This record gives sequence, structure tokens and C-alpha cells, in this order.
Amino acid sequence: MSDKKTMTYYPGCSSLGSGRHLDESLRAIMPEVGVALDDIEDWNCCGASVGHIGGGQLPNLALTGRNLAKAQQKGTRDVVTGCAACYLNTHGGAEKIKADVKKRAAINEALDAGGLSYTAELKVRHACEVLVNDVGLEAIEARVANPLTGLKVAGYVGCQTVRPFAGTAAGGDYDCYDDPTFLDDFTRACGAEAVPFAHKTACCGGSVAVMSPERTLHLMKAILEEATKAGADVISTPCPLCQTNVEMYQPAINEKFGTNYNIPVVFYSQLMAVAFGMDGVKDAALHRNTIRSEKLEAMAKGGGKA
Amino acid sequence: MTTPAPAAARKYDLAFAKWVYQNVNGGDKLSLCMQCGACSGSCPIGVQMDHGPRKLFMMIRAGMKEEVLSANTQWNCTSCYRCVVRCPRGVPVTYILQDLAAKSVEFGYAKGRHENKNFAQSFWWSAKSFGRTDERLMTMRYFFSLGLGEGYKRTMANLKIALGMVKAGRMHVGLPHRIKGRKGLQAILAKAREIEARHGSAGE
Repeated sequence: MSDKKTMTYYPGCSSLGSGRHLDESLRAIMPEVGVALDDIEDWNCCGASVGHIGGGQLPNLALTGRNLAKAQQKGTRDVVTGCAACYLNTHGGAEKIKADVKKRAAINEALDAGGLSYTAELKVRHACEVLVNDVGLEAIEARVANPLTGLKVAGYVGCQTVRPFAGTAAGGDYDCYDDPTFLDDFTRACGAEAVPFAHKTACCGGSVAVMSPERTLHLMKAILEEATKAGADVISTPCPLCQTNVEMYQPAINEKFGTNYNIPVVFYSQLMAVAFGMDGVKDAALHRNTIRSEKLEAMAKGGGKA
Repeated sequence: MTTPAPAAARKYDLAFAKWVYQNVNGGDKLSLCMQCGACSGSCPIGVQMDHGPRKLFMMIRAGMKEEVLSANTQWNCTSCYRCVVRCPRGVPVTYILQDLAAKSVEFGYAKGRHENKNFAQSFWWSAKSFGRTDERLMTMRYFFSLGLGEGYKRTMANLKIALGMVKAGRMHVGLPHRIKGRKGLQAILAKAREIEARHGSAGE
């Protein structure tokens, strides 16, 4: 890790709801490894994966346009987000606006109606890519004060954190699509054991799981089955929707398939906060998991009870 | 002796393929499809689709407008982007399916109490009204858009999850989280809609 830097931070809507523990743990760990986060003022929704259906393609892109215009008010620093969907939309949108002059003009015409403009060419990055490329595994490892010895972790990457941008130059070229290693690297850097996990980039069902779980419960079951077989104590993921889906639907899966899953699903950033010796509640936000990991909480400073 | 080839049973409307190429986001790359099936084979819930993406793309070329726009293919796409990164021809499969979904709604093929359509509309309502996704209100609006009985049924089925989320502080009680610049955002979105009506949506 070289010098300390500040990045413009886009928390995204889940940071205020289902993904609060991702946001809270990211805010805790990033400055510890030299990246200060400075929020976009009054940021808005990214449009996720269905915004274009209700709103239209250009209005959906205008959501990103407004966020970029507000980010530009913070200067030309890189923008970073921890949410997979926010990254997908904001990174993809920023690159599109950069590459296509007509699109840039259309977005600026729309932004003008709200008294904004976007003239910069901001780089929008995923927190995991920043941790890999800017911070580096060695610096993460060096910060570990409380190694998670004996904790078995299934690294569940999911989809949009790596697809379709992880292997592109604009996306920081930080890993591959089908067998990415960064998440297991994070686990090992924290002193925990990364168990072999074939379903690391399988899909949980995304927003289809939210709107009609019946269509996708079998996808999540396959992930849980594999993690159980691998002997994992916890599943670790970077994606707020994966975390919520795979955690909250375990009772429904058990009911439908006659299984008995009760596996904690945590964020890599929560693991890092615990491994950095930070507070189990204030920093690691372990109290926000609805399926708690006693093993992880016992390792955390102050435990995990709020 | 060889049986004589039958006369074509119906005429294909080639204008539909051209329309898709010109009007659907990513459609300009559709002509690169070589029908290898890497997309359908990679799809997590391809088996639940009426037609996998490969077949749907051939149907587009065959001019099967009604079948394509009323297929459930575009509604089962989970946006996992596996097809996008695996397509050897660089066809942006997910993007095409996503915009075909929007076109299905626009032209009235997703009628009535349609899960995906209603979900997308509830989502946009929250984004536009508050500038943010209020997971609670969006979900409730979606549930009850499917009918009073269905709304009640789904609310009850998800009550335990909701209470767990409230207890963990991941679902708040009170006013929705709203941005300050709602008026400005709404003006931006209205203007964007107007520009799109002027220019069309392809290539967004």
C-alpha cells in the first residue's frame, strides 16, 4: 500500500436497508488500509437490473448521469462502490457516456433540466478491485491483528461483481469470470481457510429471487448444498443482494426441499473488520446478520451482540 | 425416390429482425450470432425458459414477432451476465434480453398482473418518487399490485423475514429514505424520457 488516498463513495440504496452491514464494515475497513471514503452528496438509485423496464433506457442511464454529476462536484477522484448492481450500472454507464458523444450530449441535456452537468470522465470502481489493485493483498495481510484461524469460509463471488467487467481494462482487469480468486485471497489474508467452492460464481437468482422466489430457490439451494459439502462455517460474499437472498430464503428452501440449512452468509468486509481486530458490532456489524455465526462472533472484539 | 420439398407453410416477416437490430439495445450486434448455444448452455435458469437465448435469436431472424415478444425468456433472465462474457462473437446477450423485456411491456405483451412487469414498475415508482429504492414500500407495492388476495398472501408469507430484518436493523420503520433533490431528479428523468421519445432507445 502506497500513500493514503481519498475516493468518492457511492453507498447505494441497500446501504440504508438490507445491506447496511456491507456499508458499515466497508466504512470501517477501507480507511484502515489507506482508502478514505467521501460520499457523493445526495446520491440516488442506480436503476439496478429493472430500471429500464419501468423508466426507459435513457431515463435509467440518467440516474447514473446524476450520480456522476454529483460525484464530479467532489473532484475527479475515482468513484468506488461496494454494491454489485451499483457497480454494474454506474461503471457501465460512465464508460458508455465516455465512449459515446451522442449519449453524453443526451445525458447532459437531461441533467440540465435539473441544473447539473457532467463533463468529467470519472472512473467508477468496485471496492474489491480497489482492494486488489490499489491496496494489495500484502497490505491487507499486514493489517490483520486477529487472524481468523480455523474459520472455514466458502467464497461466494456471485455474478455482477465480476461480470461483465472484471476482466476488462476499464474494470481494472483484476480477476476472471468463471473462477475468480480474489475472494479466497481475502479469506486467506484474514487468516481463515478458503474451502474449495465450485459454486463461487453461480447465480442466486438476483431480482428474480426477490420477485418470485419459487423460480429460483433451487439455485440458492445448490449454493448452500455445495457450501455445506465443503464444510464451510460461513459463506462470504461481496454482493448485497446475494447476501440477503442466500440468507433470508434458507427457511423457505428448507420447507420446500426438506433440508436443514442454517449457514451464516457474511460480507468479506465483515471478515476483514474482525480480522483487523475491530469492533464486532460497530465495525463488523455482525449483529445485522439474521443467521449469526457464533464461531465468528467469538473471534470478534466485543463479540457480535449489539 | 426423394419426396419433393414442401412449399413454405408461412411467410417469415424479415422486417422484425431488422427492427430488433435497429431498436433494441445491443440489437445491432445480434447479426453476429452464429447459433453456437454458449448462451443457453451457460444460463442458470435457461431450462425454465420457453426458449433459450440462442433459439430466441433464431426466432428473431425468422421474424416470429409474436412468439418472441410474448416469450418468458426475457422475464427469466437473472442478469448474471454469464452469456455476455462467454459469447465468442461478442453479442451482448443479457442487454438484448433486458431490452426485449422493456419492449414486451411497451407493446403490450406483458399484460395484467405480470410479476416481472409489476416488479419493475414498483421499482421505478420508488426510484422516481424518492430518488432511492425503499425496499419495504417497493415490495409492498409490488405484492399488492398482484391483487389484494395475493398481496395479503405474500405479505404473510414474508412476515417472518421482514421481522427478522427489522430486528437486525436492516429494515427501518418510519418515513422512506428520500433524496433532497427529488424535484431536480424528476425534471431530469422527464427530460430524458422526452429525449428518448425523440430519438428512440436503441444503443442506450
